[in-house]
Amino acid sequence: MKREWLVERRFSRRELLAGGAMAAIASGAALIGCRPDRRPRVAVARAASYSVDLEPILRRAFTEIGITPGAVAGKRILLKPNLVETATGAGHINTHPEVVRAVAKALRAFGAAEVLVGEGPGHRRDTLLVLEESGLAQVLVDEKLRFVDLNRQRGFAVANAGRRSGLVRLTLPVVLSEVDWIVSLAKLKTHHWAGATLAMKNLFGIMPGSYYGWPKNVLHYAGLQESILDINATVRPQFAVIDGIVGMEGDGPIMGTAKTAGVVIVGSNLPAVDASAARVMGIDPRGIRYLAAADGWLGPIAEDAILQVGETLASVRTPFELVAKIPAQKALLDRQSGAGY
Amino acid sequence: MSANPVMTDVARERSSALPAAPAGPDGAAAVKRAGDPQLAEIATELGAALARRMHPDGSALARPGDSEPAVDATVWSALALRVSGGPAAPETLAAAQAIARLQSDDGRVSISPLHPGGYSPTSISVLAWHGVPELAPARKRAIDFLLTHSGDHFLRDPASPLGMDTTLAGWPWIDRTFSWAEPTALALLALAAAGESEHPRAQMGRAMLIDRQIAGGGWNYGNAEVFGTELRPAPESTGLVLCALAGHFPAAKLDASLAYLGKETTALRTPLALGWCSLAMAAWNPRRGEQEAGLALAIRETLAREARYGGYETADLALLSVAAQAPAGLLAALASTQQSGRSGRRP
Repeated sequence: MKREWLVERRFSRRELLAGGAMAAIASGAALIGCRPDRRPRVAVARAASYSVDLEPILRRAFTEIGITPGAVAGKRILLKPNLVETATGAGHINTHPEVVRAVAKALRAFGAAEVLVGEGPGHRRDTLLVLEESGLAQVLVDEKLRFVDLNRQRGFAVANAGRRSGLVRLTLPVVLSEVDWIVSLAKLKTHHWAGATLAMKNLFGIMPGSYYGWPKNVLHYAGLQESILDINATVRPQFAVIDGIVGMEGDGPIMGTAKTAGVVIVGSNLPAVDASAARVMGIDPRGIRYLAAADGWLGPIAEDAILQVGETLASVRTPFELVAKIPAQKALLDRQSGAGY
Repeated sequence: MSANPVMTDVARERSSALPAAPAGPDGAAAVKRAGDPQLAEIATELGAALARRMHPDGSALARPGDSEPAVDATVWSALALRVSGGPAAPETLAAAQAIARLQSDDGRVSISPLHPGGYSPTSISVLAWHGVPELAPARKRAIDFLLTHSGDHFLRDPASPLGMDTTLAGWPWIDRTFSWAEPTALALLALAAAGESEHPRAQMGRAMLIDRQIAGGGWNYGNAEVFGTELRPAPESTGLVLCALAGHFPAAKLDASLAYLGKETTALRTPLALGWCSLAMAAWNPRRGEQEAGLALAIRETLAREARYGGYETADLALLSVAAQAPAGLLAALASTQQSGRSGRRP
């Protein structure tokens, strides 16, 4: 059962990469006699607010990175938004419900057999209350999307493919064995322990609180940065969408202030997506420990190793405030002054 | 009425016509159940729903359609049966024995055999076994386990950004990790039901919870301040913690948190938060007619939303069932059914 799960996920991953190669060919690289550019693609698209029609923006971005109808057709896809907690006037804590809606609609339009949504909030045990207060519950009802509380699902154990932490096995919610694709729907935020929380860190919410606690304290004891790497190496999401329309700066991931960046960032290689997102925030990704450790293993983070499509990074760069008294962010500030970020 | 020394002004105002509640064996108020007909009907319906998810051997499914029973669902269903049927009912005994089959030699009841460190079901098991003579040895082992296990605790680094006393040991969600608010509150409820409220571990657990209280009122998972910033409370955490602290602290110490509880509870329509918050409200201020009707309406509206989530967790339905049948809080409900041997609600 465990091995079947991994084999199936590898197969899906290969399919995805094949889709990416086809998109590269279609874009003309092969027609002019060049070898296809095999760098992972990251698409950056502008979206001024949550009231614009996000679905066509996302469909275009998906196509640009090789997520085509041919690749999506027939797939069962789990969307994993970032839902942490809720507070009046603090909608910027969580992936906006309209982004979840737009991604679901776009994937359905591409022929997905089923799109479902799952999350296991790290701070809150009443996941349904977080859904209600965040506004996501209404989107689930409107779009007839099934929701899975990942904190409370029965788990199944798999070998830890990363082995950066001391954890030999990871216990994952059983829904992960029932879907073809996993999509990280993250938020563009600073983070007071990790520096920034983006597509890779978002996967903490996959780990069931029943087995890892609230917060996911087992993972903190095993090493925050190492656990991020292990989860990503083991779960291997097919792609990621980062909601940077309104992100969070300062004392993130919950107490920071809203920061409008007006972008969504999409890609199938999560370290590359996170590196581009960090650059949008004016952060040197090499200063984020888990990204530096992922470089050359789970994916590239160097700017010239990533094929940027859509908007240029320079055109959308929106420096996020970092707090000097927070060590993980102080390290990023120090790099900013040294590297011209 | 005579003043309850731990009641806030807000709570006192709400309960101005209530008779004084005599102190129960664990400090909880042993109040005769009001028998509100709407809540009685809800309790009956919830009992039937839980029964449909239970196997004849007392184990329970986490959700309808699941293929195998779940520990969390089993211990919570057993507690709901214990409250509704009293300790002598056959179904109470079957469910209590189902938990006993899950118990390890050292007394713990873990979330799954592959995760012995996830021992928070031990506390609910102690409550579900309360007053069931056949399970007294199992309960004793579970209590001993709780008294000899704690969350990680250590001297605080002066440079730490955490605004808490890290030397105070409570209980963790998972063995060998830090003490957090909710598992500590669950363990305190278990120890209180067992007559161990004044054990040094219980006293330290309460001190830990007070230390983790957010200055503006309420609790979250157990972290009041980081990098000098006060964090936000959560209703489900606040309700559970206030259940555990009822009867142990003067109102002044908890006034802001009780005010937060009162403000939040009215609007709650999800089972986990509504269940714990209504139990906390009842523990601090036994419900009477108007509050009983209000809770009945809130539970009805909560149940009406169940379809949008494809069914609630069995543990959450059981919590709602307990809340519906505990007009003076969880400990009082256990104490009163121990005295009478049966529930005043179950038809």
